[in-house]
Amino acid sequence: VSLPAAPRSLFDRRLLIVAGKGGVGKTTIACALGLVAAQQGKRTLLAEVDGVGRAACLLGITPGAIGEAHEARPGLSVMSVEGSAALAEYLAIIVPVRRVLQVVFSSRIYQYFVAAAPGLKELMTIGKIWYEAERVDEATGEHRWDLVIVDAPATGHSLQYLGMPRAAHEVFRAGLVGRESRRLVDLLTDARRTAVCLVTTAEEMPVNETLEMYARLRGDLRMPLGRLIVNRTHQNALDPAAVERLAHAVPTLRDEHERALAAEVLQRAQEEAGWTAINRKYLRQLEKAVDVPIAQIPFLFAEEFGVEQVRTIAVRLAAALAPARRPRDKHGKA
Amino acid sequence: MARLEDVLGRHRVVVCAGSGGVGKTTVAASLAVRAALGGRRTMVLTIDPAKRLANALGVHAIGGIGAAVTVGGIPAGRLSAMMLDQKGAWDDLVNRHAPSPEIRERILQNRFYQHLSQSFAGSQEYMAIEQLCELHASGAYDLIVVDTPPTRHALDFLEAPRRIADFLDKRVVKWFIRPYFSASWTTMRFVNRTAGFLFRRLEDATGISALVEVSEFFTSMSGLFEGFEPRVRRVYDLLRSPDTAFVLVATPEEQVLTEAEYFCHQVHDLGMGLRGVIFNRAHRELAPGRRELAKELPALLQRLLGDAASVDALLENFQRYDVVGRGDGLRMESFRRLLPKNAAVAEVPNLNSDVHSVAGLRALHPYLFAS
Repeated sequence: VSLPAAPRSLFDRRLLIVAGKGGVGKTTIACALGLVAAQQGKRTLLAEVDGVGRAACLLGITPGAIGEAHEARPGLSVMSVEGSAALAEYLAIIVPVRRVLQVVFSSRIYQYFVAAAPGLKELMTIGKIWYEAERVDEATGEHRWDLVIVDAPATGHSLQYLGMPRAAHEVFRAGLVGRESRRLVDLLTDARRTAVCLVTTAEEMPVNETLEMYARLRGDLRMPLGRLIVNRTHQNALDPAAVERLAHAVPTLRDEHERALAAEVLQRAQEEAGWTAINRKYLRQLEKAVDVPIAQIPFLFAEEFGVEQVRTIAVRLAAALAPARRPRDKHGKA
Repeated sequence: MARLEDVLGRHRVVVCAGSGGVGKTTVAASLAVRAALGGRRTMVLTIDPAKRLANALGVHAIGGIGAAVTVGGIPAGRLSAMMLDQKGAWDDLVNRHAPSPEIRERILQNRFYQHLSQSFAGSQEYMAIEQLCELHASGAYDLIVVDTPPTRHALDFLEAPRRIADFLDKRVVKWFIRPYFSASWTTMRFVNRTAGFLFRRLEDATGISALVEVSEFFTSMSGLFEGFEPRVRRVYDLLRSPDTAFVLVATPEEQVLTEAEYFCHQVHDLGMGLRGVIFNRAHRELAPGRRELAKELPALLQRLLGDAASVDALLENFQRYDVVGRGDGLRMESFRRLLPKNAAVAEVPNLNSDVHSVAGLRALHPYLFAS
């Protein structure tokens, strides 16, 4: 007799991959997820793939050297991951003689190989992430991290990264690469250890891309999904009748300045109402098409986007992720 | 300051660049519609338009040139569109350049190739540029507007041809060609210590059967790209030509503008011409001259609506957008200061509708071509 599985938090895994179209706020969501996980007591690593240190900046620290973890706050560290650096690190583990390594690294063939070998960087990037996710502290015998969150590249590139271990396994079955790749595939497809969080905005193009990626994850990649995070939704609370009345009143104003000012109020009301309608439409489309819990993050009206805004997003995210409680914040106030 | 109208008028190629998700496809299509309305024979080379936009432009099949668009007052035969296939770009390259059907088949069937073509970045960027060169050389168009593929970094687009050329660099490819693996390879190990070490590792790592497949692949590929290098040079010549203008599309977000700034420097360093910047989805705060009057706003709205709850909601919404507008405005102003003096700048607000018709594309014109 098996008992029903205990309800699991999104963070009860080794690996959380945050993916989506360019420009939908992936890095912000990945940072916010990191803050929430750390808050819940998980020793968390946020790995930014091929990035420019934006995650570190959003968490208020200076980006550090590639491949090294830097603590942003207690329980949350940030790391930039890049394929060729990961390959060098990997070689240093399997080839312990420093002098030999130096010769290898400085040779032209090696440099060519790293730059041009198709898929090598992608494979090494996933390899590095696997290494961090499974890394065990020798002294304590515990995992170094409770959770690794990956800020993945935009959809198309993400698919290249996520598909690479399987491709490498199929091409190089017998060799070392084939065996190592198998372990990566095992991690990526294991629902107990891994989940993908898709991030999107509720607009036509990002939603199309999200649905394509969803189909790939459910299809040939066979990867487990955690959440669909719909970012920056407008949740207009304006009374349509009032907006309508304003629209009729504006042209009747005789004073030119008053008319211009009222027109501006009207235009912003219409912008908010318009985006709310668009967001609703695509949110409904997503709800129909996708079999994953959806978390909505309201649009944040802010002058600039920094540490404080990420913290605000984290609070909203925590609320949206909490089971059986819908987010109550209707407004999106900064 | 130059106007976008003149940028369109004075060039034969306009490349719309920018990071992913900023609205490049829509802007490119809208620029093309404008040129066509002005009577120029215009082609818009688009990568991944929303389905309805593709339909509006008359493109129904990937790779095909759309029937000339006749809607929306565009003179007959003036606007054509072409949609590039993102996914089959490598197959296209092979189809186009394989010296014989046998070699083409051998490459397409190669297992290593099949994985490579799915994972090797840069091919679609290269195809976009090669397509551009062909259309340009055909002389059939007065203006070609190019929408660039969605890349994480706007710059990837410019570097793609160089990267593919490096990948197919003869001096390097020869290392992987069969004779080396079969005959001289063994000797090589003793001659070149590094190569020997690497190949031994490679053999351990991949298994010999995989290596044979890899070698087979490179053997078939060599010769396929004869004359690739001169072609890449021609591509860069066209991009550097005074006939070609780069137009940067950006949203006024910190991250996008940081990348855009880097892009501007690179375009300049490569000797290419940045002729315009389009800020898309831009907000503005209330003009300084109106701020004093804004204090009267609650009373004014109360007078117009007479309903306190609605007035509060409208005011709150108004102020929220003002906050966003202040940030956008500051970022746009500081970005403008970095631009060359002769670059045209345009600003498109965050229009609250998806653009998917020629009429929708025309609706952007008042913003793009404001005097």
